[in-house]
Amino acid sequence: MVDLALSEQLAGTERITAVRRFGRSDARFRNLTYAAALLVFLIFVGIITSLAAGAWPALKTFGPAFFIRLEWNPVTDQYGALGPIYGTVVTSALAMLVAVPVGIGIAIFLTEICPRSLRRPIGIAIELLAGIPSIIYGIWGLFVFVPFFQRHIEPAIIDLFADVPVLRDLFAGPPYGIGVFAAAMILSIMILPFITAVTRDVFETVPSVLKESAYALGSTTWEVMTHVVLPFSRAGVVGGAMLALGRALGETMAVTFVIGNAHNIQESLLAPGTSISAAIANEFTEAVGTLYTSSLIAIGLTLFVVTFLVLASAQLMLRRLEQRAGGVSA
Amino acid sequence: MNDMRPVTTAVRVDVRNLSFFYGRTQALNNISLPLYDRKVTAFIGPSGCGKSTLLRVMNRIYELYPNQRAEGEVLVDGENILGPKQDLNLLRSKVGMVFQKPTPFPMTIFDNIAFGINLYEKLPRSELSDRVEHALKRAALWDEVKEKLRESGLSLSGGQQQRLCIARTVATMPEVILLDEPASALDPISTAKIEELIDELSNDYTIAIVTHNMQQASRVSDYTAFMFLGELVEFGETEKVFTAPANKRTEEYITGRFG
Repeated sequence: MVDLALSEQLAGTERITAVRRFGRSDARFRNLTYAAALLVFLIFVGIITSLAAGAWPALKTFGPAFFIRLEWNPVTDQYGALGPIYGTVVTSALAMLVAVPVGIGIAIFLTEICPRSLRRPIGIAIELLAGIPSIIYGIWGLFVFVPFFQRHIEPAIIDLFADVPVLRDLFAGPPYGIGVFAAAMILSIMILPFITAVTRDVFETVPSVLKESAYALGSTTWEVMTHVVLPFSRAGVVGGAMLALGRALGETMAVTFVIGNAHNIQESLLAPGTSISAAIANEFTEAVGTLYTSSLIAIGLTLFVVTFLVLASAQLMLRRLEQRAGGVSA
Repeated sequence: MNDMRPVTTAVRVDVRNLSFFYGRTQALNNISLPLYDRKVTAFIGPSGCGKSTLLRVMNRIYELYPNQRAEGEVLVDGENILGPKQDLNLLRSKVGMVFQKPTPFPMTIFDNIAFGINLYEKLPRSELSDRVEHALKRAALWDEVKEKLRESGLSLSGGQQQRLCIARTVATMPEVILLDEPASALDPISTAKIEELIDELSNDYTIAIVTHNMQQASRVSDYTAFMFLGELVEFGETEKVFTAPANKRTEEYITGRFG
């Protein structure tokens, strides 16, 4: 027969040692995750530091004027960031202008209008589109899209706006094919799946009873979407758009292929230009002088800062929108 | 529309031989009953008996979902709303609905009401304000919110939110108001306010209310329909259904012996 009191006592001591062991291993686990989190911060600081150090010679030589100088001449060793900055901002802005409404439109179609049997295939197609490597967009853009664009779309646009005051200059000939506008269009195709995927997911978080009550008032799908679903999911939609903008700003390969790589700013969007990431990718191998390399790093730093500012202002904007709506958030 | 039965102007909604299916599952079996003009009709019965489903047929909100199908007829003002030519927006402007959970839209209190009005009419600002005020007064909410019309509808309490939703429905001037357990998520005081409101609204609107609360059904309704497993067991004047039910199951349910 087992001595009951003894076995209980044994169980008690065993339990206490076990609990101590748990405590130790838990502390180890906590420290490990802590270290992993710290690593992110260290990498972030490391990147900023090396970018800043690498950019210093260029920034010291040209001063703040570096950012508003257009000249980019490896022969005379004169560099200015305005051309690439302009190209990055304009291509991204144009891409957003096209992709945001279309992306949201697709998401609305997928969540509200599309027959159920088609939802999955279209959804999968969009996710596949998001997974295509950017180099594929680049060669497709250069060999297929740009020639078509040059032959059919650009002449039509030039003709269309020939008599409209401001647009006439923005879309002035000749149709190069390659240029800022073509790059923006490729970019918009690339970021479209991101916007669609995120907004679709966000739309699906809107409670169906909220949509039902809007429909029950006799609203059309358009009214339900614009007045109820979009305001409800605003934060998520803006978030998805910002994610896409982040990708557009930094996109390298596809843009490098079709933007034309010319360090200048022309009034016409159809003319060749360059972007920050395209300039870096194109010129890094041939950047021999210290100043040349440093200038490339400096525009890289600029891209880093611009992306950071975009995300920060997005956060700010969202917070203000939420306050205005009286603390409503998705 | 040629109605073969004697014309009774008192019938606002006439449900005839209505069956309803969720995919292959039949949820309503051959239901026929009237909703009388400017009367309150309560629908009672255990969960899953089809009360809410019946309400959801009357404004065809079920059509938002696939594989749901209604057979039979529902006449609103003599016209079969289940017909393929029925304009859904028009139907829903005539038959409003308030849901179990309050569903204020993510906008200001004023805009919540104005939203419904703006769907049908483009009014100048001052007239719109009058209409919003009127609707909020009808829903007995005006005194509580008149100082904060610019605040979000979500800032209100649950009971206030539900009255906001009723005001929103009233503002579109429907003929029929469907209430799907409008007070089940509310505290007793808010519930009492909603009940008062229903009583008041029945002067002008035909009301159908689904409820799990027997006392509520007996307090607010003129007619009561008892449903069980997708069938209409009994329909009649509330007083009669509650005091001398014709069917044994109705009696058992009302007295709390099952359900």
